[in-house]
Amino acid sequence: MTTTPLRGRGAALTAAILSSALVLTACGSDGDSGDNAAGRSDETHTVKAGNGDIKVPAAPQRVVTIGNTDLPFIDMGGKPVGVTGVDESELSLLPEGQRATFEKATELGDEVDLEKVASLKPDLIMVQIPDAEFQKIEDQLGAIAPTVFWGLDTEWKALAEAIAEAGNLEDALDRQKADYEGRVAEMKQTYSDVIENTRFVNLDRYANSDPGTFVIADIGCVEIAQDDIGLNFPKAAAGADPLAYTSLPFEQIAELSEYDVITYPADAEGQPTEVFAPVVQTNTWKELSTVQSGNALGVFCPGNNSYGSVLRYLDSLDTALATLPAEQ
Amino acid sequence: MTDLALRRPVGSGTGTVSGPRRRLIGLVVALAVLLGLLVASMMIGSTAIAPTVVWDALFHPSNDIDQFAIRDFRLPRTIVGLVVGTALGVSGALIQALTRNPLADAGILGLNAGASFAVTVAVGLLGVRDIQGYMWFAFAGALIVTLMVLVLGSNRRGQSPVMMVLAGLCVGSVLSGAGSALELTNPDAFDAMRSWNAGSIVSRPLDMLWPTLPFFAIALLLAFAVSGPLNAMALGDELAVAQGVRLVRTRILAIIALTLLAGGATAIAGPISFVGLMVPHVARWIVGPDQRWIFAYSALLAPILLLASDILGRVVMRPGEIPVGIVTSFVGAPVLIALVRQKKASGL
Repeated sequence: MTTTPLRGRGAALTAAILSSALVLTACGSDGDSGDNAAGRSDETHTVKAGNGDIKVPAAPQRVVTIGNTDLPFIDMGGKPVGVTGVDESELSLLPEGQRATFEKATELGDEVDLEKVASLKPDLIMVQIPDAEFQKIEDQLGAIAPTVFWGLDTEWKALAEAIAEAGNLEDALDRQKADYEGRVAEMKQTYSDVIENTRFVNLDRYANSDPGTFVIADIGCVEIAQDDIGLNFPKAAAGADPLAYTSLPFEQIAELSEYDVITYPADAEGQPTEVFAPVVQTNTWKELSTVQSGNALGVFCPGNNSYGSVLRYLDSLDTALATLPAEQ
Repeated sequence: MTDLALRRPVGSGTGTVSGPRRRLIGLVVALAVLLGLLVASMMIGSTAIAPTVVWDALFHPSNDIDQFAIRDFRLPRTIVGLVVGTALGVSGALIQALTRNPLADAGILGLNAGASFAVTVAVGLLGVRDIQGYMWFAFAGALIVTLMVLVLGSNRRGQSPVMMVLAGLCVGSVLSGAGSALELTNPDAFDAMRSWNAGSIVSRPLDMLWPTLPFFAIALLLAFAVSGPLNAMALGDELAVAQGVRLVRTRILAIIALTLLAGGATAIAGPISFVGLMVPHVARWIVGPDQRWIFAYSALLAPILLLASDILGRVVMRPGEIPVGIVTSFVGAPVLIALVRQKKASGL
């Protein structure tokens, strides 16, 4: 299963939301919250979300996205009026048009100001944050506009379906899904031998990784390569923590020669990411037989929680796999 | 200051006639243990590498991939562990002698806080991303804060150990608060400091170490040069002056030495707790109050503790590792408590 990342905003979001909640509770009690929650569109329909069956406008015009819902919504062509903060490193990975849409929306910041949310007069609020945090603000958000919430354990495809349904973007989603499924089928056919006979390992480093360490990453974009394409990557035992949770010292790089192909994080141009660069700069890496034989592939992962970003990942993976000596 | 310090003669000729011989033997034993740990540090790691490969990596280098693992990773961390350990041990002994406070370590003069704050500023405001970049900021931060503490802790009659400690605690508290504020508003700084504050000797290339060696060498010379006068000062300022000790000069030289040692060690490895605090205690238990012997023993026992902790950190969570700063706390605290509960006290 591919899970949607939290993006590390949760804690800051909670603090800010809690600080605003008191003020907003007072605001909410001044008026009739039922009027707000009724929506502003002529038609409504009911969607199933993590917080129950919610009646939402059939064609919402003023959508606020909180947490991990902003990029998938924009990816399907949605134009939110308010968005929570996204790191510059994530923004820089967006296509130009999507970035412009994001920047046009009112940024609610990492620290969501509920008064600011209310001032945007949304007719729909979409939220994906930790359950415990949502419970603290559920009533306040519901008083502003119909609020649909999904927990962090919602699989990315299910989240895209739900966002499309609530945000009236189902046509766009259908097109993306068709593109995706076509692409997956094509790659499965093209690389059937590789899928059958090749042992892969996917490496990564994170911004907060200790110096001199890397991980064998089994979460993130690699889950798509593993689960949907069928490439043979190492996986944690059932019930165990993901392999990516264990930092490995650089001297473990020498052990990687047991794999046929190594994939590692690269930027859009195929160069190792800044965070991963220390690994490829080691002499041990340079001497790996896998590296010397051209079987170390940089793959660009712009995100793994929307079809658009996943399709771009598949493009990069396809380009990389095509360079394998066995494919040439 | 304790009875132990007052009962014994200080300066030259401490102990009995056989004392120096026993201490010398102890020193040789410590040196042998240290050499053994240096070898063990090269042999033991998260990857099983044959001893012959280790030997060849050092003396018959080739492009064998395991040899690179030895030369690129284990050799640098072993040498860094040796240097940082020695620096922390001697600086701890110096600071305890200077402040006449058995609980003193580099943190008490605000040195760690100064180094940490400088690294936070470097990462959070100046965008420095690599350890080599942090190092010089940390060093500068430690030096500046120590200078501030020296000025704030001085009066017309010179430096007062009590005032210096108070000044160090105050400056350290302010900088810790400012650093925390910056970290909480800057995720990059938070991530970098989370890792740096754990204290580690991993991924510190030798290129990073070499420029600091002259500072460490000068500081060690200064430390041993002031060890005799510090013996006299343990009896009190008046008696020390009567013995011809120049108090101001001794304190300033001691502060320069401990700043270079502790500041340099912290700059390279991050704050590593317990080594500078515990090792001088152990040395004092073994050799008595003579600072010259305490410094010599601390210079050997501290890298022993650091390297042993680092090796332990490599094997307890294989294939992952625990940063040495965390292991020294786990190992150091119980050992220190056990020693405190023994018959001897370790005052100054």
